[in-house]
Amino acid sequence: MNDTFRRVLAAAVFSAGSLTAGAVLAQSITIAIGSEPSTLDPQLRDDGGERQVNDNIYETLLARTPTGELVPSLAAEMPKQIDDLTWEFTLREGVTFHNGEPFNADAVVYSVKRVVAPENASEQMAYLGTIAGAEKVDDYKVRITTSGPDPILPSRMYWMKIVPPKHAEEADLAAQPVGTGPYKFVSWNRGSDITLEANADHRDGAPDVEQVTYRFVTEPGTRLSGLMAGEFDVIVNLPPEFTATVPKFAAVRGIETSTIILSTDNEATRDPRVRQALNIAIDRKAIADNLFLGYAEVAKGQLIHPNAFGFNKSIEAYPYDPDRARQLLAEAGAEGSTIELLGESGRWLKDREVIEAVAGYWTEIGLKVDVQIEEFSRYLDRLFDMKVRPDAYFVLNSNELFDADREMSFAYEAGAGGASNSEKELAETIRAARTETDLEERSTLYDKLTAKLHEEAFDVPLFNHQDIYGMSARMEWQPRVDGKLIVKEMSVAE
Amino acid sequence: MGSFILRRLWQGLLVVLGVTLTVFVVTRVFGDPVSLMLPLTATAEQRAAFAHEIGLDRPLLVQFLGFMRDLVALDFGNSLWQRRPAIEVVFERLPNTLLLIVAGLGFAILASIPLGIIAALRPGGIVDRLTVSLGLIGLSMPQFWVGLLFIVIFAVQLKLLPTSGMGTPAHLILPALTLGLTPLARLTLLVRSSMIDELNQQYIKAARAKGLGLSRILGVHALRNVLISFLTLTGWELISILAGYTVVVETVFAWPGLGLTAMQAIQRGDLFLMQAIVFSIAFLIVLINIALDIAFKMIDPRINLN
Repeated sequence: MNDTFRRVLAAAVFSAGSLTAGAVLAQSITIAIGSEPSTLDPQLRDDGGERQVNDNIYETLLARTPTGELVPSLAAEMPKQIDDLTWEFTLREGVTFHNGEPFNADAVVYSVKRVVAPENASEQMAYLGTIAGAEKVDDYKVRITTSGPDPILPSRMYWMKIVPPKHAEEADLAAQPVGTGPYKFVSWNRGSDITLEANADHRDGAPDVEQVTYRFVTEPGTRLSGLMAGEFDVIVNLPPEFTATVPKFAAVRGIETSTIILSTDNEATRDPRVRQALNIAIDRKAIADNLFLGYAEVAKGQLIHPNAFGFNKSIEAYPYDPDRARQLLAEAGAEGSTIELLGESGRWLKDREVIEAVAGYWTEIGLKVDVQIEEFSRYLDRLFDMKVRPDAYFVLNSNELFDADREMSFAYEAGAGGASNSEKELAETIRAARTETDLEERSTLYDKLTAKLHEEAFDVPLFNHQDIYGMSARMEWQPRVDGKLIVKEMSVAE
Repeated sequence: MGSFILRRLWQGLLVVLGVTLTVFVVTRVFGDPVSLMLPLTATAEQRAAFAHEIGLDRPLLVQFLGFMRDLVALDFGNSLWQRRPAIEVVFERLPNTLLLIVAGLGFAILASIPLGIIAALRPGGIVDRLTVSLGLIGLSMPQFWVGLLFIVIFAVQLKLLPTSGMGTPAHLILPALTLGLTPLARLTLLVRSSMIDELNQQYIKAARAKGLGLSRILGVHALRNVLISFLTLTGWELISILAGYTVVVETVFAWPGLGLTAMQAIQRGDLFLMQAIVFSIAFLIVLINIALDIAFKMIDPRINLN
């Protein structure tokens, strides 16, 4: 009897032991992302879902550390600028693609030419638009040329994935991704999941997580349920309310900044004093604490992202001073005037709530606010309509390139993007800064620009938003400032 | 019968064309697909170049003629969002939606008939009151909320079923239940009230007086008369589910169907994919209508199809 008991116990212990051993061996995780990749071709679309997968399969010449510093990846060192229009990259030797094709100058030249080819109509030209071409110097040296002087070409190269030429020509890159990265493509079960496995031959060694499965779940509540039911290990865009519910979460300042662009030409917002009043009328801290539960930081008095080149460290956040705001309105003779505030709903986290809160603060200092929430495509039509500008519109800007030109060209360069002013000199300075290759001089230009924009209150910078990820208890991961899901940086605790 | 089907097909084709053309015009005239597709920060030149590549800078009439020419070959062009033939996306996703609908509506149909009949046997009785109350609750609960509630109870708390996705039969249960709940309630209430009417008819009394068994009276005589209105409502449920009600369920359960795809195509301004989806759905609805007419004729030969 005793013997039998011992044998059963031993069996139980043994099987439990082998179970744990099994778990240690097969470290596979499941990540729930918000949308299915539209394609796995890494060069055509501007698609977050596609990037979340392909960032692990493909690599770029330069990469960023988790804290945002630009470092060589497939390049052996940082690029050298040969002249205003030419950058020389020395490539890492001995790298091969997952299918055995060698990584060399030919692959880089092919990749550059493929992404800029007009017939491919790549949406990534929004990031890579300045690139004119590439030529091979020798097997491991490439020169990339730009159509005009482009000081941020290195940052752009973090957005250009290198594809294997032979495979890209012969096979279907959209369904069979082959890169040089730490993960290899295994399968894509359309509509359901994508699976990748660790690339043991990667130059940095095999990553911790051996297998990763991506699931596509649009609805945040369903992602949360999946995490709570133990089906997912990492979920994206966790609503701030649920940070207390999930087993584990991590928040990091992402690349998004919200603001309200004011028109300097419209009657209602022409006077800089009115625009300043609009800024100091808002208790941003209260909105950040109450709507975002603290997972948003009050913007530092400028739209430029704090991690971006050109961020002005000497500018302080606008204070909350409704009395002074009323006084400024009185000085400008704008008491009781009406301001239209254009916005949209559902595109960005709590967009409508923020717009309504701001309108509330503006009403409090004695203005009439005409809030106009539009359907997104109608909102875009009005945003890009250069003839009729709204007095004020809410927008969320994301700075993928970590460079002030992103915000400048979108929000302030007269006649372009969503700018609401007609100041020629400002636009010229913005263009000058864009092409200034002397970094110190460029930094000075941006300091001047941001100081002017702040002083005359061209906009109402609101928040630097944080990315929140929900995680299962076993996950170990510190999210990155560039919002990328790099699986090799994740590990599973046992 | 043959000429009837042909004529209906012809009429249906006109309907499908009309719907497709409306979408064609609306997507191009209202809203700019290019600004939806490209990031906010794309420059005006980049937008113009992109519009040129996908042919949106040509005059509307030229675009329209090209569209009509391709339509004959069922070529809807490449989906802008997925960068592959739009019709391929439709054929890939439509079966998933149909599977969900067959399961959900099938469950509603199979359950509503016995439930409705049992309730009708003793109007005002406890079973009847329970059926009516539950039916009303089922009708008034938003699908979105029911779906999440099911997930929380059966997947998160009890861990009996997966929260979302597709793959095993277990994945189908919760979304199909959620989708079938409203039709189940409506169909049960319909069977109940029609059955009560029917059971009070003279011919039922005559049949009972002749000594026919209850099951034969219910199953053969009364049910056949209930069936026409039952089928009409079922057809309506099927069409309204197909024309949009799956979107909510597919979103909540991350079910890779056509509804979810349509939603994403709209958000991304993918007009080519939208055209393909609308065309296919309109075509299916026309087919369903014809099939229903034929079914009516088979149930009640007195119905004149012409």
